[in-house]
Amino acid sequence: MPKPIVTSPARQNGKLAPPAPMPNYPFTAIVGQEEMKLCLLLNVIDPRIGGVMIMGHRGTGKSTAVRALADVLPKISRIAGDPFNREVVEEGDPFAPPHRKHERIPVPVVDLPLGATEDRVCGTIDIEAALTQGVKRFEPGLLARANRGFLYIDEVNLLDDHLVDVLLDVAASGWNVVEREGISVRHPARFVLVGSGNPEEGELRPQLLDRFGLHARITTITDVAQRMEIVRRRRAFDADPLAFLAAWEPQQRALRRRIVAAQKRVAHVEMPDDVLMCAARLCMQLGVDGHRGELTLARAACALAAFEGRGRATLDDLRRVAVPALRHRLRRDPLETTDAGERVLQAMEKTLGAEARSGSL
Amino acid sequence: MTLSFAEIVGMDVAKQALLLLAVNPALAGVAIAAPVGSGKSTLARAFAALLPAGTPFVELPVGATEDSVLGGLDLEATLATGRRVIARGLLARAHGGVLYADGLNLLDERAIAHLISALSDGVVRVERDGLSEVHPARFLLVGTYDPVEGEVRRGLLDRIGLIVPVPPQTGERERAEVVRRNLAHPPNGDAEDETTMLRAMIADAREHLPTVHIAEEQMQALVQTALSLGVEGNRADVFAVQAALAKAALDGREAVDDDDLKLAVRLVLLPRATRVPAQEAPERRERETTPHAQGDQPGDPNAPNPAQATLEELLLEAATVDLPAGLLDLPFAGKRRSHGGSRGAALSSRRGRFVRAVAGDPRGQRIALLPTLIAAAPWQKVRRAERNVGACLDVRREDIRVKRFRDKAGTLYIFVVDASGSMAINRMREAKGAVVRLLQDAYVHRDQVGLIAFRGQQAQVLLEPSQSVERAKRALDVLPTGGGTPLASALLAAWRMAQQARARGIAQVTLVLMTDGRGNVPLRAAPAAPPSRAEIQAELQQIATCIRAEGIQAVVIDTQVNYLSQGEAARLAAWLGGRYVYLPNAKAAQIAMAVAPR
Repeated sequence: MPKPIVTSPARQNGKLAPPAPMPNYPFTAIVGQEEMKLCLLLNVIDPRIGGVMIMGHRGTGKSTAVRALADVLPKISRIAGDPFNREVVEEGDPFAPPHRKHERIPVPVVDLPLGATEDRVCGTIDIEAALTQGVKRFEPGLLARANRGFLYIDEVNLLDDHLVDVLLDVAASGWNVVEREGISVRHPARFVLVGSGNPEEGELRPQLLDRFGLHARITTITDVAQRMEIVRRRRAFDADPLAFLAAWEPQQRALRRRIVAAQKRVAHVEMPDDVLMCAARLCMQLGVDGHRGELTLARAACALAAFEGRGRATLDDLRRVAVPALRHRLRRDPLETTDAGERVLQAMEKTLGAEARSGSL
Repeated sequence: MTLSFAEIVGMDVAKQALLLLAVNPALAGVAIAAPVGSGKSTLARAFAALLPAGTPFVELPVGATEDSVLGGLDLEATLATGRRVIARGLLARAHGGVLYADGLNLLDERAIAHLISALSDGVVRVERDGLSEVHPARFLLVGTYDPVEGEVRRGLLDRIGLIVPVPPQTGERERAEVVRRNLAHPPNGDAEDETTMLRAMIADAREHLPTVHIAEEQMQALVQTALSLGVEGNRADVFAVQAALAKAALDGREAVDDDDLKLAVRLVLLPRATRVPAQEAPERRERETTPHAQGDQPGDPNAPNPAQATLEELLLEAATVDLPAGLLDLPFAGKRRSHGGSRGAALSSRRGRFVRAVAGDPRGQRIALLPTLIAAAPWQKVRRAERNVGACLDVRREDIRVKRFRDKAGTLYIFVVDASGSMAINRMREAKGAVVRLLQDAYVHRDQVGLIAFRGQQAQVLLEPSQSVERAKRALDVLPTGGGTPLASALLAAWRMAQQARARGIAQVTLVLMTDGRGNVPLRAAPAAPPSRAEIQAELQQIATCIRAEGIQAVVIDTQVNYLSQGEAARLAAWLGGRYVYLPNAKAAQIAMAVAPR
């Protein structure tokens, strides 16, 4: 009878437990960068949107936003101590805890640090068990920990290619399969992939970009008033993080409530035919291959409607999500100087114009 | 033997920056650009001595491996005890103290990435070799680099609060003083007193810092200055404010004054400038004298009010006075050096994808831990019985497995584009298209592209080898055209770039020359008489032969229309041992195709 897998003693041991981490800057206190914030929230509301890739200049708050997201996420229920955060398990599951008690945990936001090795990402043989008992036993990795949550990769463009391939495969299938060093394990790994990077560090492979549902681009804020507000808030946070968090707690709580409501609502949001038609036309006009474009557009528009407490997606929802949903799906033309986002917007206006005319007939 | 902080002569700006850092850890670090032998490491050590006794001082060596930077399994101890024993990495060991990196620009790409994430998160996350650990890593970074050896990666520089540009040449008297002080060592009582005093000052200022006041207008002036200088990102604003506060605290003042702001501009904003503010200054002065121009854009919330403009101008003026040798020497604008380049990614055989573990000698190679243990596991019972060693794991030499990597370094394409003469504009546009196309098609191969343009007196490196389409486009956008044809200089620059790439482990280098081959500017400064054609040709042949001897591939794309050509480009191709392609109206796609490996 195999013993249940628990996390390794190194992490349970009080002495070696991680230090109380620096609290995250509150999500609601982030100034500007609305596109990025919206993209993240839409993915929280409907994880099927397929993640978000955030590209932008240094020092524009990319990682701050992703880490801050963790604190506004609602809790989920899982079987206490389940290594894959599962809510239900089948009888005889070798990894399940022996009991069926449930606990509520925050939605996991797992950081995939650079330099992570494949064995830690996918899970591998438990070294300690191998050492002390000479047995092969599986120890779950980061993908297990990220199940039902978010997996965040900062500086995606610096990640090893083979690791990126592994992540994409798992993200697409929702299953992590480990076949190495004589162990054979398959476990659920459904997560929203969030990546960030700086275009100056090297471009991303187009195949990689395609796999992200949304693509947010952020730039340096040039509005003086906003920049001063950033400085002020940052200074207040650095001086006394706990007081700052306390001051923002009402906003944080309000956003959390709004997210929970939107998550409940999103499945029932209606997608009118004309909006769907417009999404399809838009993709055709932009020459987007496949149907991932329309699907993402539709899901994002519904999530947006749900976020704003509406039961029906509108053309305006479509307009607001079109750029991040499509800008990375356009055909590439090296001599094209117009920004991809601009091109989406132009096409959007054209399509909407046609829509308005046909509607008036 | 070490000098105390107070005894170090020269490097006043660097010293000031370090004091600010000691007072205000929110500044994260100081990056000091200084040539070899300028006493950088002496300064760093002296700085650490100013901090409370027992403060860790950890050195991050240039060749540090990922294992040593991050920490990981202590193999020896683990094998000996049969339990996992974790060795903390350099970053974690610097927690609560000073991390000193000599050669910020020479650090391995991965080491830089880890340094960056430690700077922004204050922790090190280790997810490797079966370990999952979070170690605290808050430290003051003192980094130095010799600009001659290449740029510091900008993502890293961006997270370091204070940047000290190259100091002006030290004067004769100061030099003499340096020598004198060094000879006079061991320190006299004065220096010791001074150290004690500095320590007390720092402690005072730290305590005092939270209560220092900065006015809204002062903050706005800093933000506005950052905007005028084209500073990227919003992190610099925060650093600038923190620097001004630290300076006021250090001087024992309750509020920030103009000098504090000036220093903040000089150490935080100016080194991050991407734009020359001087071009705007006269304009603004003009605006002030013409009364009706004041209300240019009344609705613009960004329009500075007059008082604001003066404070900002004051800051800019004060800052630009001590601009070293022009904006191009500043790290963030330094995309266009005539030579140099990052040796950052030095390291070779141990990079790339870990393919498989093989039995082998662990010396000089990375041990593949898991396969080693697995290899050892089945024999444990047998060995225990043989040797009676108790519960420890018995690993023998024959169990040891080492990692084999497959390096996917890819090819470096160096585009050398003739920007002289009348054809230039068209040529540049197509070259740009070709560069971008190559980059976009080539991710999978991990190819890189470098860009050199030549016109006027000398060639210019527009883009150090990079995979970034965005940087390539931007570099090409700002290129002026017309003038002479310094072909020899261009070839030399390309050769240097190729050499540096080789040092980084990029074995394949392809040179793409877009020119008519008619060089008319020699390498050496012209003597009395203008150089003859023959001299220039001889020079070209010499360099071309060098390039060929290095095994660098070359493609010469002749852009001259047929009836004007005298075969110079074809001859150059022959010297280079490369391919000659005639494409007078080269289109981007054609170039990309001509260059691509067959």
